[in-house]
Amino acid sequence: MSATTAPRIEAESNDLLGWLTTTDHKRIGILYLTTSLAYFAVAGLLAIAIRTQLARPDNAVVTPEQYAQLFTLHGTAMIFLVVAPFALGLANFLIPLQIGAADMAFPRLNATSYWMFLFGGLTVFAGAATNEGAAGNGWTSYAPLSEIAISTGLGQDLWIVGIFLVSVATILTAINFVTTAFIYRAPGMTMWRIPIFTWEMIATSLLIFMAFPSLAADLELLFVDRNLGGHAFDPAYGGNALLWQHLFWFFGHPEVYVMILPYFGVVSEIIPVFSRKPIFGYTGLVLAAFAIAGLSMGVWAHHMFTSGAVDDPFFSAVSFLIAVPTGVKFFNWIATMWRGRIVLATPMLFCIGFLINFLLGGVTGVMIASPPIDFQAHQSYFIVAHMHYVLGGGSLFAIFAALFFWWPKMFGVKLDETLGKVCFWLLFVGFNVTFFPMHLSGLYGMARRVYTYPANGPLPELNMIATIGSYVMLLGVLVFVWDVIVSTRRHEPVPDDPWGGYSLEWATSSPPPEHNFDSLPPIHSERPVFDARHPELTPP
Amino acid sequence: MSVGVRLFLSSALFSIVIAVAYWYLSHEPTGTFLLGVMAFGLSFASGYMILAERDANLVGDKRDADPDAETGVLVGTYSLHSPLPLWSALSITCVLVGLVISPALSALGLVGGLVLGVFFILQSR
Repeated sequence: MSATTAPRIEAESNDLLGWLTTTDHKRIGILYLTTSLAYFAVAGLLAIAIRTQLARPDNAVVTPEQYAQLFTLHGTAMIFLVVAPFALGLANFLIPLQIGAADMAFPRLNATSYWMFLFGGLTVFAGAATNEGAAGNGWTSYAPLSEIAISTGLGQDLWIVGIFLVSVATILTAINFVTTAFIYRAPGMTMWRIPIFTWEMIATSLLIFMAFPSLAADLELLFVDRNLGGHAFDPAYGGNALLWQHLFWFFGHPEVYVMILPYFGVVSEIIPVFSRKPIFGYTGLVLAAFAIAGLSMGVWAHHMFTSGAVDDPFFSAVSFLIAVPTGVKFFNWIATMWRGRIVLATPMLFCIGFLINFLLGGVTGVMIASPPIDFQAHQSYFIVAHMHYVLGGGSLFAIFAALFFWWPKMFGVKLDETLGKVCFWLLFVGFNVTFFPMHLSGLYGMARRVYTYPANGPLPELNMIATIGSYVMLLGVLVFVWDVIVSTRRHEPVPDDPWGGYSLEWATSSPPPEHNFDSLPPIHSERPVFDARHPELTPP
Repeated sequence: MSVGVRLFLSSALFSIVIAVAYWYLSHEPTGTFLLGVMAFGLSFASGYMILAERDANLVGDKRDADPDAETGVLVGTYSLHSPLPLWSALSITCVLVGLVISPALSALGLVGGLVLGVFFILQSR
């Protein structure tokens, strides 16, 4: 390694004021991760309440109105406040480290984005404290259902304002990511040597630029309708009843990829390390990410097949096409593992769980991209199963993989491996016991977003199985919390690179210093630390 | 032409193609408008990047650059703490939440923003 000039920086303050005023990307990353995990805990408990209500037909754990608020807050939190922001937090921590930079391009803007995200989430949840309760129209908040004539409560307005804050914060963060990755790369870190995770975040940021303004516009229209007498979605006044859906899904489907592309990056970083091989098909993985991002901008109305007012063949064809680059990625991961010396550490177990669950979610995604099947499955629990296999079995398992993998880098402590494996098996079994039966209950006709179901037929048994599975998942999450407590108390020091990592973040101390690097290794590929360890394999 | 420019340019071309194809196949105005805005935005970004690239001299683009000689040159001195982000986010939140709860809260947010602006101007002098 060659010595480099460290930037001159002010001392970092460790007290509360230091955290409140921090502009350090690593601390902002940890704040994002902690906040999104806190929101995850709340959203998870809401899910347990939902499953408890559905354990038996005609249960009365909550009222129908409360049930609507529960699934609205659960969906809103998981999508806007957990899965996507966790990726932003991870990227905040990792991007400068992976490209050899000292910080983000715009540190103050970065911190502002975090605080807007935090306040946006709190604003959404504040709706629950109002007289008529939180918003209750689902995370999609379809107009005219969410218009003032039907949804009179303040909770819906707070939902609009909260999600608007989160969407603006997300756009600002995306600007920061792209600028940092384009401009602040270390000497020798050419674009084609950027690690896959950072590439996936560039693709994600591009999606955010294109999709999130549509959501912001949609929210503004709804706000004007509700508070200033507008009629954007009312045909009687020249509005368009489908406008909300078009604008929402123009954001909403790319948002699915905003929630999965970063985690493609996570598994692309972890699988090679625990297969003891370089990633297979680096260029293919990068190009596939951009193909997915581009195609995902042209599929929004496959969520609207049943409206009868969209071009079904166009949206069906583009939706099918997305399976091709996704398949390329899948084969690359399998080819990376092929004939590797696989180490089944906890992060790798979660990656394998990701592959299995995401494959199932992807296959059902291809099924419902076909309009005849979608007409049958629409608004049923089949859709609930599909989206949870993609975002729960996919993204959530990658979140746990990332936590176990990068925890030593963030905190200088390794999480307990035995407890980690117990956590994995509880989550993997619990997840599949919860969500696989939902495919069947959907096909038997169980509608989503309804607080009860018929007592005859197979639905009671299927729902009871799903509820038992959800409690097993809860146990898995509690084991993770216990793992964090035990490992933190034990505080056994770990080496800077406990896994034998490949990318630049493993070239610095754990946790990294304020300026990130005291020295940088020469950069000749996307895996400079691997190259430094194996000079005989270094590309010319 | 750098990888970044090619990335934005190819995305812009793709958007134009898909917007035209969508209009040709569906004659649906809302989606076509959205795709058109996307194509325009990406074209604008591509054009800006092409112009900006002429003056760019990024060490990260040099394949055989020596970290020993170059790292740290562009970083300089910077602070790790600033009250401005929390203050500005709080002001923005007050203004927006005030729109649905109470105009007084919006006014408080505006005052907060004003104080922030004055502080920012004084600090930058």
